[in-house]
Amino acid sequence: MTNMREVLPQAAAEPDLPPALQDFAKQRFEGLTGIARPSRKTEAWKYSAKRLNKLEGLQLAGNAGEENAPADLLLGNVQSHQLVLSNGHLPSSLPQIEGVSIKAFSALSEAEAQQVAKGLIATRDDLPFAEINHAGLGEGLYIEVAKNTQVELPIHLLLVHQGEGMSLPRIFVHLQTGSSVSLIESVCAVSASSEQSLCNQVSDFLIEDNAALTYYRVNDDHDQLPQVAATGAQLKRDARFFSHVLSLGCPLGRHDLQVQLLGSGAECDLNGVCVAQDRQHFDHHTCIEHIASHCNSNENYRCIADDKAQIVFNGRIHIHPDAQKTLGEMSNKNLLLSSEAEIDSKPELEIYADDVKCAHGTTIGQLNEKEVYYLKTRGIRKEQARQMLTLGFVLEIVRAAPIAELAERWEQRLSELLSFED
Amino acid sequence: MLSIKNLQAQVEDKQILKGLNLEIKAGEVHAIMGPNGSGKSTLSQVLAGNEAFEVTGGSVRYQDQDLLEMSTEDRAREGLFLAFQYPVEIPGVSNLQFLKTAINNIRQHRGEGEINAAEFMKLAKEKIKQVNLNPSFLKRGVNEGFSGGEKKRNEIMQMLMLEPKLAILDETDSGLDIDALRVVADGVNALRSPERAVIMVTHYQRLLDYIVPDYVHVLSQGRIIKSGGKELALELEEKGYGWLGIDEQAEA
Repeated sequence: MTNMREVLPQAAAEPDLPPALQDFAKQRFEGLTGIARPSRKTEAWKYSAKRLNKLEGLQLAGNAGEENAPADLLLGNVQSHQLVLSNGHLPSSLPQIEGVSIKAFSALSEAEAQQVAKGLIATRDDLPFAEINHAGLGEGLYIEVAKNTQVELPIHLLLVHQGEGMSLPRIFVHLQTGSSVSLIESVCAVSASSEQSLCNQVSDFLIEDNAALTYYRVNDDHDQLPQVAATGAQLKRDARFFSHVLSLGCPLGRHDLQVQLLGSGAECDLNGVCVAQDRQHFDHHTCIEHIASHCNSNENYRCIADDKAQIVFNGRIHIHPDAQKTLGEMSNKNLLLSSEAEIDSKPELEIYADDVKCAHGTTIGQLNEKEVYYLKTRGIRKEQARQMLTLGFVLEIVRAAPIAELAERWEQRLSELLSFED
Repeated sequence: MLSIKNLQAQVEDKQILKGLNLEIKAGEVHAIMGPNGSGKSTLSQVLAGNEAFEVTGGSVRYQDQDLLEMSTEDRAREGLFLAFQYPVEIPGVSNLQFLKTAINNIRQHRGEGEINAAEFMKLAKEKIKQVNLNPSFLKRGVNEGFSGGEKKRNEIMQMLMLEPKLAILDETDSGLDIDALRVVADGVNALRSPERAVIMVTHYQRLLDYIVPDYVHVLSQGRIIKSGGKELALELEEKGYGWLGIDEQAEA
């Protein structure tokens, strides 16, 4: 049986890391031989394994500098504090934001380093590609928002992958009690290749009591970058996590989003929109673990597949025995625009508490011809009617993004993407 | 304006219209009555261009054009409007966006420029008031979560915005309370003019108390079996369809 060591034959020596993280990386690197490479028989990877395994023998990509970052990142007129991570490497100067501490992993105290090693994704052992990120841990970005600090402008992390090879961006965000911040991650590529590049990212968020993180993950791939990402959020008492994921096309994309509701009164909303065309492939796996009582979770993913594209949605809600009075709702709606497109949807509920309200639903359908006809009877061209309906299918979710300028820019981009005009 | 000759149509191999003839001139209001299953809605859908219905014979001329050769959207752009019996709900597309797109398509067809945003809003607000709907409905998805009566009023609102030459109302009065019926009737009456014509397909005579037709036709088994003036509706109300030898059970 083949193992994950083949993907990362050599450890990336990073002597500047604090001891806790050096140990962490070393252990995970040694553990790689014991982790099987995912195959079509690996349930959680069965739709993406074949394509991922084609990416053989990639070297770690070096720091290519910040200069070549593309301009249009679907941000519209959003003002932000921007940080460019080039192939996962940190910029030479980090922004100064009041109440926010932004550091490289190498500058962490031992206590902070231990916190990073205890992140949700850091402690998982069932995500083989995240394991590569752990084992190859080099530079990472650490952001800590001080107690009761409300950061006004969003922090924008621009993850640029340049050239061939594998990049391993690593992010850890710690929101102290009562703080709040919006974080935008956008992934983009310069001269990447669908056969020789891979962006393999891990982000862990620790949200303390009554703190709130609004998270945007945008991906509009013009340059054929395969990518795997795992995002984890741990929520303490009364903490909130609002996630807005926009995945627009990618030759091969996989996003694992995991949430643990650890303290009572915690709440999460996971919104997602995915559009795949041509031969693109996007695989979303989400998992919400209700561990404490009185927590709410709400998940809403809408996907559109056209041409020969494939989209996978696997959403899981796991309600632990102590999570009484849980409210959990999951909805995944899918639209197929072509007879050769494929969507695989799998909602999962696992419930071990008896006093909970939980619902999940999934639909896969085509454009409703009755709706197209109705619009045509009002003089609207067929192509335009189809565009309006397709866009309408995802718009509700796009508009749920609290930053209005961002939602507008996304809507504009989606309407270009979903145009049926020749 | 509209000339229907020997129209035959079927849906899923079932023959519904079996040789229907009807002449409508500008300025006229025609009521088409008949029991369930007589072909009333089929006639409306065939005229609007619903591809689920297959025309198997006959001809329809509309303003000196072959209507059956025209696409659904071109019929609408040439001034034909169908108020649906069961309007669809379209979440995600707002009423405003929908109306604006429709108006601009029609304007473009006429060689006019796009409607000015302020002018459009003024018009939309005025018309929504006219059908007694809350202006907040403009921002909602098309018919999304609307009650039956609200959907019908929204159809009339669209009609008032688009100002059609030939309006076809497919059982717009069904299921309406008297206030909503008045709103619908006022809308249609406001549109009446020497240049326009209206076809009201209805199951009930009640609507005709509010919109007085010039002609009443009785449809049975896919044909018009009797035509007359407005007094025909009253006679039908009094004597029922059985009076004309129609077996209502057999139609349905």
